[in-house]
Amino acid sequence: MKTTWIKWPAAAAAGLMIAGCATYPDQATTRQMAEKMVFEAFSASPAHMKRLEQDRSQQICSKIGDAKLSQEEAAEVVKLARASIRYPASGKLTGDWKTGDKLAHDGAGDRIRNGKVENRKENGALCQNCHALAPDEINVGNVGTPLTGYGKQRGNSDAIVKYTYEKIYNAWVYFPCSNMPRLGATGHLTPEQITHMVAYLLDPQSPINK
Amino acid sequence: MKTIRAIIPALGAMLCLAVTPSAMAQGNDLSVGRKMLMEDNPGELWIDQGKELFYQKRGPKNASLEQCDFGMGPGKLEGAATRLPRYFADTDRVEDLETRLLTCMTTLQGFDRNQLIKRAISPAQSNGSDIEALALYITSRSNGMKVNVTLNNQKEYDMYKAGEYLFYRRSGQTDFGCVQCHGEANKRIRLQDLVHITSKAGAQEVASTWPAYRGAHYVVRTMQWRLNDCVWQMRLPDLKYATDYSIALTTYLNRQGNDAVIQVPGFKR
Repeated sequence: MKTTWIKWPAAAAAGLMIAGCATYPDQATTRQMAEKMVFEAFSASPAHMKRLEQDRSQQICSKIGDAKLSQEEAAEVVKLARASIRYPASGKLTGDWKTGDKLAHDGAGDRIRNGKVENRKENGALCQNCHALAPDEINVGNVGTPLTGYGKQRGNSDAIVKYTYEKIYNAWVYFPCSNMPRLGATGHLTPEQITHMVAYLLDPQSPINK
Repeated sequence: MKTIRAIIPALGAMLCLAVTPSAMAQGNDLSVGRKMLMEDNPGELWIDQGKELFYQKRGPKNASLEQCDFGMGPGKLEGAATRLPRYFADTDRVEDLETRLLTCMTTLQGFDRNQLIKRAISPAQSNGSDIEALALYITSRSNGMKVNVTLNNQKEYDMYKAGEYLFYRRSGQTDFGCVQCHGEANKRIRLQDLVHITSKAGAQEVASTWPAYRGAHYVVRTMQWRLNDCVWQMRLPDLKYATDYSIALTTYLNRQGNDAVIQVPGFKR
């Protein structure tokens, strides 16, 4: 009886001490721990491990919870995005809408399974995953804004062509940190592929504008 | 047992009929189909398999898992899944259910850790892996109980915060973190609904429905599989099994889903 009487307060005191010390780690510690976890969690060749490294824009755009971008951060992301844009060697920003149509409905490319990148001639443009496309299509996502009638609403002036090309190449020029992947800047699509996407969006003959 | 098996589909069919009008009223035909499938979940079969595996003497040490402590004491399974992931003093780390299973299957039963990991996620249309069946059986022993992940130990606080950080961490050629697909309500990738994990209800769905029967694969899948498939689509490399990365995300997600009533196997497309 006597020993239990001593033991319980001792245990409680020890418990309180542990509970008293334990608390949320600060931002810098959290970041350090979590980044270490990332680089220990994947089995990959050094080339594939690079996919885990964040560039400066990704770091800025990984705000936690409701934390907002500061004006300076937004400006930096826009500046980096602007500097990232490359145009096709031909200088022509509008390609073939039929090729673009095919690419828009292709969600594959560059995924890694058991250390191997899926074997494909080129990456799909992933559009269908997130955007409504031609008016009669049902199997489309809604994470992004609908693109149905994109060209019909905007016309195909040089300014619109350039805006559309840049928006696909690196959406963060116009919408810093938006959910839209920087398809050209990250190398997912080539400049030539993007010209086909521009044609698909803007050509009056494209099903998206019917 | 056989009669129960026969009755379940019949009951399921009755429930479907009862459910259809209200679901139709919401105007979502897809949800009706999913609901109908859920009522008669083939994943139930894995529960018995997991139970057998749990009590059988197996492995080089010819031992059952009855001495495995999932946090409530050796062999105590009721409610254990409601508190996972949590800190375990014997390994001095935070472990989720699948990591804890690995720990016990290696220390108590003497299985080779790498071999277990190699088989942990089964091929589609197979009979499933031991870990998948065990994870389902153990979680099913918390069916009807509320998720209650608490942070007491410093390592639990660290895991939770790291998980939150990882949920929002963007990388790779798609610039995706988890939140890009799971941060808003009523979103889809093509026709596939995305769970709105930054809402309480969405996090609760995650915390209470895994392991789940995955219709497209004809097998029971675990949380670790779910994470693997996400990072694959995000174009990241192969996620290893039972790393702190997965445990951190699971700690974050499950704690966000506290108070959800566990009901497994879930049913996924």
